[in-house]
Amino acid sequence: MRISGFILVIDSYLVRKGVLSMLNRIQGVRVLKEFGAADPFVAYLERHPVDFIIISQSGFDRSVDLFMTKPELLEKTILLEDPQKEGPTKKRPVHDVHASIHLMEEKETLIRKIRDLLNHQGDRHTENLSMELSPRETTIVRLVSLGLTNRQIAEKLFLSAHTVMTHRKNISSKLGIKSVSGLTIYAIVNNIITIEEVTSKPAR
Amino acid sequence: MITREWPMYRVVLENHQLLPLLPRFNLKLGFGEKSVDEVCRAHGVNTDFFLEIANAYLDELYVPEEGLALVSLSTMVDYITSTHSYFTDIALPMVEEKIFRLMAHSALSEQEVNLVTDFFNDYKENFMAHLSKEEEHILPYVVELERQSTQKEPDPDFIQKLRTYSIREFEKEHDRLEISLKHLSELIIKYLPPFDDLQLCHQVLNDLAALMKDLVDHADVEDKVLIPRVAELERKLLNRETTT
Repeated sequence: MRISGFILVIDSYLVRKGVLSMLNRIQGVRVLKEFGAADPFVAYLERHPVDFIIISQSGFDRSVDLFMTKPELLEKTILLEDPQKEGPTKKRPVHDVHASIHLMEEKETLIRKIRDLLNHQGDRHTENLSMELSPRETTIVRLVSLGLTNRQIAEKLFLSAHTVMTHRKNISSKLGIKSVSGLTIYAIVNNIITIEEVTSKPAR
Repeated sequence: MITREWPMYRVVLENHQLLPLLPRFNLKLGFGEKSVDEVCRAHGVNTDFFLEIANAYLDELYVPEEGLALVSLSTMVDYITSTHSYFTDIALPMVEEKIFRLMAHSALSEQEVNLVTDFFNDYKENFMAHLSKEEEHILPYVVELERQSTQKEPDPDFIQKLRTYSIREFEKEHDRLEISLKHLSELIIKYLPPFDDLQLCHQVLNDLAALMKDLVDHADVEDKVLIPRVAELERKLLNRETTT
């Protein structure tokens, strides 16, 4: 799974730690750094790759100039709204932020929103780097794990040997696994094949 | 967070997971009452660099910052190279020996044993290939880049190469070596029949977990520290050469 890097720009220490503790419970999230009111998060952004910025209203209002000059940052920005206290911000670029969450929202809603963002982000940036195998690729991983050669797989699936090779390459780059033995273990732990099916192959 | 004034013995006593870091910096036990800074200086180690790496190692939310800007790229390359040696000469052989011992004394079928041993042998081969590619191509490139950037008149051939190549290319194909180890642990925990030698089995799982964490931390040093700095230097050097 892809890990998305977050930074938090939230004045209130307690709120910041609360958001941090929530994010740490979500798979695929890594909080890279937290910033309070006076901390220089802009300098940090210049030097580190960050996927998402969760920023409080006051933090956002204070940095409006930054967001006006670097509109690409808005795409990464999740505004933390506190309707009870501060009232919605009226500063202009706020309409272009990527998403917003509310301080008073329930845990489940918050976590669902963050997860949606992570999934959506996967679509945006990593179309062909996605870890998900297509159904066809899954079938091929299964046959590879059963010990079939590329040629046997081609015959079985009525494909050209060249097409099977292409699938194999795509599978390797998606999973980062090149060897047959590695794919076999991947297939077992992802329930593409059972260990019994693999080990009932005749021993060499 | 560890700071330079801490006595080194306390750093290690209270954070035993830092032990594998010591040989990478060529630091040996027997610290006495010396502070982190004193120990580092005595061994010719850049204290800021040690602190950044040790703190990043202890706290995964810690992101290296200002201190690292002072560390030369060749110092980082030395650290990366000695970390590689730790993986290939110590960590990997250690877990390998235990896995093969576990398999040899298990009630597993021949096919099940083959499943694991084939996997490990292929993994090791891939692992070695990955590290040698870095050591033969990437790291020398980084050292050369730093050297060229200090020259008044950098080699035109090198600049030409810079126009078409960037360290970011390497980042794209940077495999995550820990993923397959996770699969192996999962196989042992979920699917293989239980092992009689529970202690050895637990040691294998512990070693695998430690190696995974080490690999993740190491990849973080490369991806979050080394690569951005190299990319920045590439940009600076190109700008300088284009404007003059």
